[in-house]
Amino acid sequence: MLSKSTLVDGSPTLSVYGKLFADPMRYLDSVGHTFVLAGLTALLALGLGAALGMLLGKTDLPLRRVFAVLLCVPLFMPPYILAVSWTDLLAKNGALSALLPGRTLTALSQRFEGLAGCVWVLTSALMPLVMIVTMVSLSALNPRLEEAARLIASWPRTLRHVTLPLAEPAILFAALIVFLLAVGEVAVPMLLHYPVYPVRTLVQFAAFYDFGAAAASAVPLLLLAVLLVSLEQRYLRDRAHRLLATTAGRRALRVPLRGWRTPAALVVGAMASAFVLLPLATLVHTSLDSFGYVHAWRATADSLIRSVVYAGAGATVLTALGFLFGYVIQRQAARWWRALDMLTLLLFTVPGTVAGVGLIALWNRPATGWLYASSAMIILAYIGQYSALTTRISAAALANVSATLEDAARVSGAPWLARLRLVIVPAALPGLVIAWIVAFIFCLRDVGASMLVHSPGADPLAVRILTLMANGSPSMISAACVILIAIDLVMLLALAAALRMLARNR
Amino acid sequence: MANSRNARARILVAAIALAALVALALFWRGSGVEGESVVVYVSHDQVFSEPILKDFERDTGIRVRALYDTEEAKSAGLMNRLLAEKDHPQADVYWANEPIRADVLRQRGVSAPYRSASAAGIDAQFRDPNDHWTGFSARARMLIFDPRLEHKPASIRAYADRQFRAMAVIANPLFGTTTAHIAALFTVWGDTQAKAFLQSMRENGVRIVSSNGDSADQVAKGAARFALVDSDDVYSRKQQGQPIEGAYPDQEPGGVGCFIVPNAVVLIRSAPHEGPGRKLIDYLLSPETEKKLAFSDAAQIPLHSGVETPASVPRLDELHVMTVDYGAVAAKMQQIQPWLSDWAGH
Repeated sequence: MLSKSTLVDGSPTLSVYGKLFADPMRYLDSVGHTFVLAGLTALLALGLGAALGMLLGKTDLPLRRVFAVLLCVPLFMPPYILAVSWTDLLAKNGALSALLPGRTLTALSQRFEGLAGCVWVLTSALMPLVMIVTMVSLSALNPRLEEAARLIASWPRTLRHVTLPLAEPAILFAALIVFLLAVGEVAVPMLLHYPVYPVRTLVQFAAFYDFGAAAASAVPLLLLAVLLVSLEQRYLRDRAHRLLATTAGRRALRVPLRGWRTPAALVVGAMASAFVLLPLATLVHTSLDSFGYVHAWRATADSLIRSVVYAGAGATVLTALGFLFGYVIQRQAARWWRALDMLTLLLFTVPGTVAGVGLIALWNRPATGWLYASSAMIILAYIGQYSALTTRISAAALANVSATLEDAARVSGAPWLARLRLVIVPAALPGLVIAWIVAFIFCLRDVGASMLVHSPGADPLAVRILTLMANGSPSMISAACVILIAIDLVMLLALAAALRMLARNR
Repeated sequence: MANSRNARARILVAAIALAALVALALFWRGSGVEGESVVVYVSHDQVFSEPILKDFERDTGIRVRALYDTEEAKSAGLMNRLLAEKDHPQADVYWANEPIRADVLRQRGVSAPYRSASAAGIDAQFRDPNDHWTGFSARARMLIFDPRLEHKPASIRAYADRQFRAMAVIANPLFGTTTAHIAALFTVWGDTQAKAFLQSMRENGVRIVSSNGDSADQVAKGAARFALVDSDDVYSRKQQGQPIEGAYPDQEPGGVGCFIVPNAVVLIRSAPHEGPGRKLIDYLLSPETEKKLAFSDAAQIPLHSGVETPASVPRLDELHVMTVDYGAVAAKMQQIQPWLSDWAGH
């Protein structure tokens, strides 16, 4: 794709960039909007996600497992569908019209259009990522450090001076991921009428069919990603503490909330209602009309089964690759570890449409036509888009595996593969399971690149829902969305059970 | 020791079996019905087009593998896929939901000429002169409005009418049928008058939304009082019982008339299955298909004369239709895109 932006009629040139960015001031508004949207979303996701992760992962909050699962629900859907649910909810004849006065509803609906609505939707959709990373980081901390601190300090001081600093790099990285996802988001700002820069890439595709200009318009986003990742590598990576290795059999400490249990549970419950239950209730309520589930099943059964296979295969490949990449990065096992880290994050930042057209250009050739015509293209799209997630989660899991364990195995004569299989993978297994879950969720809800590369008649469920949204009956669409959420919930609960079993056996 | 070795062996066998199943699922092209197959990319809404394609499968025995566009992608997905696959096409046929983008494919060398026998009886206005695309089953651009409006809009000029200030929405003019409609106005009115009209719209407080569907939903939800959308957007919301009404604009004598947007079918150059592709085109262009689309929730207007339609679907000769040259509209569309991009604020 980059070559399309630098070659015109076979000759290298920067004329595409010159034409596109001739008047950079015309982009000032949309660039400003993009930064404001992404910045606010990342800040809110960071604050809320870290706080919720702390409450759900580190305290004895009642119903914390239920809340944890519930708060993950918005992550299961493409943010566009979440945005449509909210606009339906706030409409004059929407579900909230029975509960709120007309003027209040109108004011809310008007405020929802634009920045406020975009931030609300994207925060609710992406905050679970920060929450999950926080919970995982906290559970992986060596409890001996906190035990030692607790001998001389209260829980608040222990959390502030020991726990949070140890988990901080991973949490801040999750916030970086949220920022990058929000920067690249197009569908939600378009629906809520908030002009952002990535729409330019869409315009180049949809209005001008100019691949070179579309790729060129995505370059500023890539440069931004390079800058942020460089800062992250410089300031956060070196703070990964080597004392994080856990001792087998020791459980993470939980903070007793005592008198704060009920108020904290009410606050988290209110957040779960605001972020999750309201739009979910709208979907469920709409889905119950007119045989919604029957029509949804007829319209989506084949793509549902395919999606689970695609997402499962994608998550497995992503976890395996993420583990290998994470090993290289975390152990700095090759000279090019920084370049690998940068590459995975750059691919993550590339807009899905650009990635999709790039995949077509690369694989739609006589020699590779057999691959292009197969569903394996979707897996390639997933690898390009999401390898950064599993790489970093695996790297975080490997940071908690003491290098001395591997050194001891090497000194004993174990070859590298045996060390991986018998020492490193078992020690990092809980983190790898988390990586698989996150990859599964993102693969299942993916629309961007997979929309462009799935073979005819083999569309995944999220793409099928979006195609049916054009004049499909609301009850059928809502039912299909509920089915999508249900699949993720079932998978999440099954893997949570697997994680608990792993923890008990360690 | 032996037990743990057996357990590991069982797990390994299970893992290999699972991997093989997954690989089969990913790489299996599927045999389905033995014999011919055709690959069609479809920009028309899946809920309306899929039943037609399934009927084709049943009637001919030719397996159809279809790819649909999404509301979110604004037809960017399929057009860009066709253009990206130009050198090694995967599709045999493109079912476009309007002829303008079909003409863009002709201009980019993606289409091949094919004059179907089923096209006999379709007016020359709705066909490419060199048979690169043929129109069928049309939508009309309509005004959708809140039935409680005291003065109902009857012309697209309502967008610039002070009595309707800040009441209207319009789909993004860079995407979909709105682009075609605006380009058509430029060809009929001339650049100066068309630009002045669009500027007046802006000054009259029109809001730009993402799509025709979004426009229709805004009116149905009460967030806007009227919008210019496609007739199937109006009809489907009426069928769903939503509180809206629709009107064909500019029907008075001397009025500009309503813009008709036919579907268009295109044979792809160097299609892998050209024979079945031609058969599909013949089927889509047939009066029988037009009758089905007329009676479906798409409520589309047949271009063949004499095709039976329900009471809710007008015949073409019952409407005052905007007379346009779709090839000229396609050329004008590409010419005005930069200006429209500025107008839309991109």
